[in-house]
Amino acid sequence: MRDQVLGVGSWVLVGKGIFDMRKIWVVAKMSLLENSRKQVFHVLCLVMLALIASSMLLSIFTEGVRLKILKDICMTSILFGGSALAIALGSMGIPNDVESRTIYPIFARPISRSQYITGKFLGTMLTVFLGVLAMTIVFAALIASFNGGFDPYLLLAVAFTLLEVCIVAAIATTISVFASPAVTAAFTFMIYICGTIKIGYFGGMIERTADGISKSLFGVIYHILPNLECFNLKASLVHHDPVPASYLAQVAVYGLCYSAFVLFIGMVKFGRREV
Amino acid sequence: MKMSKPLTTDNLTKQYKLGKKQGAKTALDSLSIEVPEGVIFGFLGPNGAGKTTTIKLLLDFMQPTSGSASVMGLPTSNPATRKLVGYLPEEPYFHRFLKPIEVLSMHAALAGVAKREIPKRASAVLERVGIAEYADTPISKLSKGLTQRVGIAQALIGDPKLLILDEPTSGLDPIGRRHTTQLLVDLRNEGKTIFLSSHVLSEIENVCDMVAVLKRGKLVAYGEPDKVRSEESFVMVQTSKLHPETHERLRFLDVIIEPFNDTALLKFDRNNLYRVMLVLEGLSLPVYNINTQRESLEEAFLRLAA
Repeated sequence: MRDQVLGVGSWVLVGKGIFDMRKIWVVAKMSLLENSRKQVFHVLCLVMLALIASSMLLSIFTEGVRLKILKDICMTSILFGGSALAIALGSMGIPNDVESRTIYPIFARPISRSQYITGKFLGTMLTVFLGVLAMTIVFAALIASFNGGFDPYLLLAVAFTLLEVCIVAAIATTISVFASPAVTAAFTFMIYICGTIKIGYFGGMIERTADGISKSLFGVIYHILPNLECFNLKASLVHHDPVPASYLAQVAVYGLCYSAFVLFIGMVKFGRREV
Repeated sequence: MKMSKPLTTDNLTKQYKLGKKQGAKTALDSLSIEVPEGVIFGFLGPNGAGKTTTIKLLLDFMQPTSGSASVMGLPTSNPATRKLVGYLPEEPYFHRFLKPIEVLSMHAALAGVAKREIPKRASAVLERVGIAEYADTPISKLSKGLTQRVGIAQALIGDPKLLILDEPTSGLDPIGRRHTTQLLVDLRNEGKTIFLSSHVLSEIENVCDMVAVLKRGKLVAYGEPDKVRSEESFVMVQTSKLHPETHERLRFLDVIIEPFNDTALLKFDRNNLYRVMLVLEGLSLPVYNINTQRESLEEAFLRLAA
């Protein structure tokens, strides 16, 4: 096992592996083409767009409150829409390729499994990006129709939402390496919920628990779970509160590193899987 | 400098764990073969003999329980070996929304073909397998036979030294079969090595330079087709329709009787020729035709796999 991990690791880090972008891009492009034809992509995008567009009906509120509620609803829609897309597409990509056997001709090529996983992940993220982009355009148009201008905070909030979705997609991709799409989607959704309430719920549990074993258990869960709440810049968008650049940089690095680490686990696991 | 064999396996073994109580099932048992350069190597065996397992091991889709395999001297676990290999799965599956030209472009890129060379190479390969006119038709609109040809084109796109083909004529009509068989011979003549798994033994017999026969994971025959077939030849005699009583008398001499139009074909070991002819003469039966035949590869396969 140790040799396997070291073998895959060295291939990923030192060899041509993960840095051969051409092969990764081919898999990502294929994945994007495939995902963008899936019904789940069309349905989720349409539902979220409809939800965002329905914010137009908030005319019962005063103008200031209406804009705040609009931003709140739209950001929540983008976050949930993006996460739902990441969970649905991320959990189906690899199992579908294995099930439909389209993976055989691909794996018969000089492509490492780490490149394949990276390509599938990128394909999922590109598809999610397209969906989020469509939602963001409608959202930006709505804000513009309310206050007559473009809100630069919107781009920042959406960018960090995409980083959050990136972690969700990485988790779904990694779990899908060894589980069925349904199990992957369920587990990823659980992790997503736990990651969102991590600070408030698990942090409080650790403080409140007196029992040593339970405290350690909650501590482990707390540290393994991603902190998804830190990507939420909704308040900053709604209230135009400035966010320190150092905080943004830290959160961005955290998101990218967490996603990379989760994907690395998937690569190690998939490296020796029989197909 | 000594050239490495295109394909070598050394005591290649694969066991599947079935569970704690059932233990393990041996799908492939100590397979040791060498495929020389520039030959068509027929890999035969009934269903469940371990052919697909072997191919999966050669392509590193799974890892052997013990033993090893190499392509051009490199272990199959090294992804670089697959740059030298073109693979056609038993039933090629591609994304159905893609067109053949897109499938080939994708596989050419994965095989490391230079970007500017891809369109030219893809068109040439489609032309070669006889489906140039379907280059822009989505796979979902193609018949099984045409999809199979896309699969063959896909295997050829990287200009591999070794082709691993699993049932290449599956789903093809007689013209397609003839075309593919001729293509394999042409590729061999160009110096490519072809590792071919097939059930259509008559085709294999005509084109294969070497064969290996697997039975329940074990190698039961290996070598040139002439060496795999039995040395013993048998005699075929065509006579008139036989009376049931004559059937009984001939069966004592281990004669196989097959009706053929209004006549009967008698098939027996050549050592029994004198005695069979005596019986036919005694019954005043005519002999229309007589010839000796050697065991076909199909008959050898049936004998070995039985």
